[in-house]
Amino acid sequence: MYRHDGESIFVIDGHAHLWDARPRNWRNKYGESWIKCFYQYHSGMSPTDAVWPFEKFCHYGEQGMEEDLFRDGHVDMAILNSTYLHEFYHDGFNTHVQNNVMKSKYPDRILLCGSFDPRDEEKGLDGMRRMMAEYPINGLKLYTAEWRGESRGWRLNDPWAYKYLELAQNLGIKNVHVHKGPTVYPLSMDAFDVHDVDYAATDFPDLNFIVEHVGLPRLDDFCWIAAQEPNVYAGLSVAMATVHLRPRYFGEILANLLFWLGPDRLCFGSDYAIWSPKWLIEKFMAYQMPEDLKQEYHADLTLEVKRKILGENAARLYGIDTLAQAAKLRGDAVGMASSSG
Amino acid sequence: MSVAHYPSIDCPPTVNEVTLLECLSRVQDPELDESIVDLGFVQAIRLRDREASVTLRLPTSWCAINFAFVMAEDVRSALLAADGIDRVTVRLGDHCAAADIEEAVNNGKPFVAAFPHNGGRDLAALRTIFLRKGFLIRQERLLRELLTRGLSMGDIAQLNIGTMAVGRHEFRPEIASLPRYLERRAELGLDCSSHAALVVDQEGAAVLEERLEQYFQRIRTVRVAMEANASICRAALASRNNMNSGRQQ
Repeated sequence: MYRHDGESIFVIDGHAHLWDARPRNWRNKYGESWIKCFYQYHSGMSPTDAVWPFEKFCHYGEQGMEEDLFRDGHVDMAILNSTYLHEFYHDGFNTHVQNNVMKSKYPDRILLCGSFDPRDEEKGLDGMRRMMAEYPINGLKLYTAEWRGESRGWRLNDPWAYKYLELAQNLGIKNVHVHKGPTVYPLSMDAFDVHDVDYAATDFPDLNFIVEHVGLPRLDDFCWIAAQEPNVYAGLSVAMATVHLRPRYFGEILANLLFWLGPDRLCFGSDYAIWSPKWLIEKFMAYQMPEDLKQEYHADLTLEVKRKILGENAARLYGIDTLAQAAKLRGDAVGMASSSG
Repeated sequence: MSVAHYPSIDCPPTVNEVTLLECLSRVQDPELDESIVDLGFVQAIRLRDREASVTLRLPTSWCAINFAFVMAEDVRSALLAADGIDRVTVRLGDHCAAADIEEAVNNGKPFVAAFPHNGGRDLAALRTIFLRKGFLIRQERLLRELLTRGLSMGDIAQLNIGTMAVGRHEFRPEIASLPRYLERRAELGLDCSSHAALVVDQEGAAVLEERLEQYFQRIRTVRVAMEANASICRAALASRNNMNSGRQQ
């Protein structure tokens, strides 16, 4: 809960990870360079006092996450965007199995994302049924750029991807988070291209597609697709982090998103542990849209808009009544500790 | 903007360092529409016996292979075109695909030879996409500058290239964003004669007054996307430089 001038804002962090990138989990040099690349984004864009030592960045555990999100970070609930990367990490990077440690501990605070890979074809459909039966999966996180053997990625509108999306829908999934973000993978131009979202969003009107990292660096392509497709949402992680280093660009990005999508389809995300919600939320709440951008785009970041971005929009996607949920959370271990403290 | 790291240059006294840098400055990051020298991507240049070695340092070891390839290839062509250089070796440091890119580029082989599993567009198509994006971005800056000078969309729609000229080959010097726009427009093979409309889309069709406002709203998003990306790349590169020089924490 973020408290501001006597008002309380319910916060859902739409993008967080409980990863294990300790050297013993590195399968090859890619495991090492992957986490070092993340660390560059972390240390290059965080305020100096929020930069961690590399060792902590590799592994912070559920205790660290609990503190950084729920105790210090103003976050009420978090969506864990599982990423697998078995080609780089022995036990995976932050699979739904790893993330479920957090979900078991805080069932009312965590929304757990599972995943599928359409390249598993027929046999993967059973795997997905099993995952849905054995784990408390709330949504899906898809990573179209993931390597597998010689394949350097897949597209949401591949025929097999459609079979998985149909199955997901039959199993009760409503929300599909799709990673479309800055370059971290080779050959990304094709794999992170956002146009496949356009096809899937049209063909699956009852699913919501949350495009994580708003397609950056292809924000323009993303905006035009989202303007056409009412079930496409903007996941703001990465874009959020520019609020510290490049506040002017942050304003321009938000002004464009508000211009093309309006205030009801933007969802806050920290991308924890790349960045921590505490400073992101505090800087976001303090941020005022520059006057010239307000006038040019007819868009503003009012308190009501910030409230939507920080939690209300994601709550609507996941069918959460924020008042009832806030009351419930006051009774769990974290809630009790914060009210007694 | 953060201060770019300029490359270390090691060459015989007979070679003009400024000319060498100017030559490299013409190489751009295709995605960011900016010189790789200004972006700080060139770490070192060494010239010996008519052979140039250039070490690039991209923002992360995961920078997209296709863009890395384009830059390495362009560095090689730019230097081979310079006087006094017969051979060029490009190095990509700890980039995840450094060995494959270097092997191909330094031997003049095409992208598909090095990465047969790319499965996507070839590099020529990629270059065209980003040359066009760069055109739109430069055009947005020009439109914005003209709007700031008090012209209306209606005024701008009436302008042709000739109205921007003050002589046969001279353009109004006070419009700072004009030269880069016209340069890219010519590179794309679009009509740059004096009767041609100042604002044309990437196919070369004039953007009429009734469409101009909406057109501007679209191209400004292209510019914001590119600038945001460039700022993220700069932050990643600055962080990498700090880590390498041991200044982190």
